[in-house]
Amino acid sequence: MCVWFPNWPLRRPDAPPDNPCQVVGADGVVTAANDLAFAGGVRVGMPRRRAETLCPSVVTLPADPGAEAAAFEMVARAVETVAPGVEIAEPGLLFLNVSGAVRYYGGEEPLVVRVGQAVGEVASGARLGLADGPFAARMAAAEGAAIVTDTDGFVAGLDISTLGVPEIVGTFRWLGVTTLGDLAALPREAVASRFGQPGLEVYRLARGEDREVSPQPVPQDMEAEERFDPPLQNLEQAAFAARSLAHRLLEVAAPGIPHLVVVEATSAAGEVRSRTWRSADPFTEGEMAERIRWQLRAWVEGGGIPGGMARLRLVPGDRSDSGRQMCFGEDVAAAAESRRALARAQALVGPDAVLQAVPQGGREPGERVRWYRWGEPAPLPIHDPKALWPGRLPDPAPALLPPPRRVEVEWDGECPVRMRLGSRWEKVHNWAGPWRRTGRWWDGEQHADRYQIVTGAGAFLCELHDGDCYLVGIYD
Amino acid sequence: MLERVRAVGRVTAPFVAPGRVLGLVGSPGLGLTRLGLALLADPAHGATVAFVDVRGWLSPLSAWEAGIPPKHLIVVRCPGRDIWGQVTAALLEGLSAVYAEVPAGVDGSVLRRLGALARARRAVLILRPLNGRLPSGLAHLKLVAERVHWEGADSGHGRIVRRLLTLRAAGKGVGGIEWLYEVEDEGTDVVRVVSELAAAEAGRAAG
Repeated sequence: MCVWFPNWPLRRPDAPPDNPCQVVGADGVVTAANDLAFAGGVRVGMPRRRAETLCPSVVTLPADPGAEAAAFEMVARAVETVAPGVEIAEPGLLFLNVSGAVRYYGGEEPLVVRVGQAVGEVASGARLGLADGPFAARMAAAEGAAIVTDTDGFVAGLDISTLGVPEIVGTFRWLGVTTLGDLAALPREAVASRFGQPGLEVYRLARGEDREVSPQPVPQDMEAEERFDPPLQNLEQAAFAARSLAHRLLEVAAPGIPHLVVVEATSAAGEVRSRTWRSADPFTEGEMAERIRWQLRAWVEGGGIPGGMARLRLVPGDRSDSGRQMCFGEDVAAAAESRRALARAQALVGPDAVLQAVPQGGREPGERVRWYRWGEPAPLPIHDPKALWPGRLPDPAPALLPPPRRVEVEWDGECPVRMRLGSRWEKVHNWAGPWRRTGRWWDGEQHADRYQIVTGAGAFLCELHDGDCYLVGIYD
Repeated sequence: MLERVRAVGRVTAPFVAPGRVLGLVGSPGLGLTRLGLALLADPAHGATVAFVDVRGWLSPLSAWEAGIPPKHLIVVRCPGRDIWGQVTAALLEGLSAVYAEVPAGVDGSVLRRLGALARARRAVLILRPLNGRLPSGLAHLKLVAERVHWEGADSGHGRIVRRLLTLRAAGKGVGGIEWLYEVEDEGTDVVRVVSELAAAEAGRAAG
């Protein structure tokens, strides 16, 4: 379930209600704009200069995410009175895991009503959305569809612009893909081939694959904790401690990086407060420290921490890789670097030249490999790799499989004696075979005999058919 | 004299290290591709490794036999020498190990820049020049295939089973003295250095 307040950053006392107004973040991008500014052409995500050019009368306020988070804490507390499991994504946006609460309140509708009432008591203008998965719930809140019973159908009907990736969305529109349903109906290979990794990420959202998670348990000792004696009274001191604690958490969680972090503070009086923060992408140290600071400020401004903060503890809610659930052996940072490097290589040589392969069954070395483009999911083998495959060439496999090329081989009866490699003849030191391939004789395919031929220049796999010998593999 | 001086579980230890360039020189059929793949096997157990395939001939079967997990092997087919340097550099920027076949005609300065990049990124770079030549001083260690001896095939019987590859090592990695290594490959993911045959006479004479 999602609780979303549009333009939460504008809920501040210095925002003029009768003038166009926008809030601009530290990066110079508009994070919120009121209706008057919107009517003047200002949009969230727009650079400040462009917004001011379009709407010269707009009042620009600098963003203060700490104050926004502190103000949002009362909403989180109100939701918590109805159900536990609140996860704040950003000031003005929180998610609630409702799997247990739905059963407790006897259905989705009573739960949504309860949450709406609880939130309405502390702030007006909330939009609620309930659907399977965070993306669908957020979209449901944005569209004003409080309860979505058919998540697949709802997501399929969403406009392609809801993906929020303008550079890809423009191309999709040009191709006639206007809804997420249109996108989900495309073959995955086609999306991967045309749009690469960014395209696959939005494709996952369109197909609802972000909902298919297989959570991994977080080890109990995976946490970072700091005890303060005497207890910290100053918010700045606590913020300083937050940074080092975030660093330590990332170290203990390595090679994974959490995208859910539980911030827990214990007061000198023994009172424990806890809040979960969520990020679509894995947290960086700076982002995590920032959220801890915001949370501490929210607690301090919301009544303080009695007697000061005696303990600060961070626990990862999970570990992820760009929102994808990952196993604990994976190194997220290295994986992200690898992906960037391979995406660059793919841009240079084309998607069909950056390949991976999976083993499959077959008699020939080439048949036993199923290639696929990097970035696409690994395909299932066409031929059963566990089948016997009589007539299969024995291991080891030749390392190189050049296109079949006719070579001259001198035979003494049925034994190869000399082999011509380039301009010189090499004596055959030894040989093994033949392994006969009968082929699909009913389709007119002819049989062939395969030989392993060892010369002073190396070992080769040769194929003999119609009296001619072909070099088909090099044991390099 | 073949003296069993040292046996290691994997072939990686004496030959490759992060930030080092290894050159593999020898004609096709001597087993250098398989050796290079075996050298990639260790880095591939924790991360993705890439094989820059200039000719498009690589069979991943031999890579899997050498111990590289299929999901960690990326094959980048790059027939054009004009973008070969850019592609290899892009891979070195993000991967821990890259095996690159070097097409004929690539400028030595490109190779030196790639070497510098591998050192800066602490990546393993294995270069296999298809024309058999590497600029001097580029590789930390250069392994030249001297000869190969195959066992198992016997006048039509048996099959190729085991290979003993004799390598002449030169470069800074062996302290400027030429060494002979014999590498044993039984077709599994364990490739062993079974001996350091001898320090080159030149080195002894100098010492």
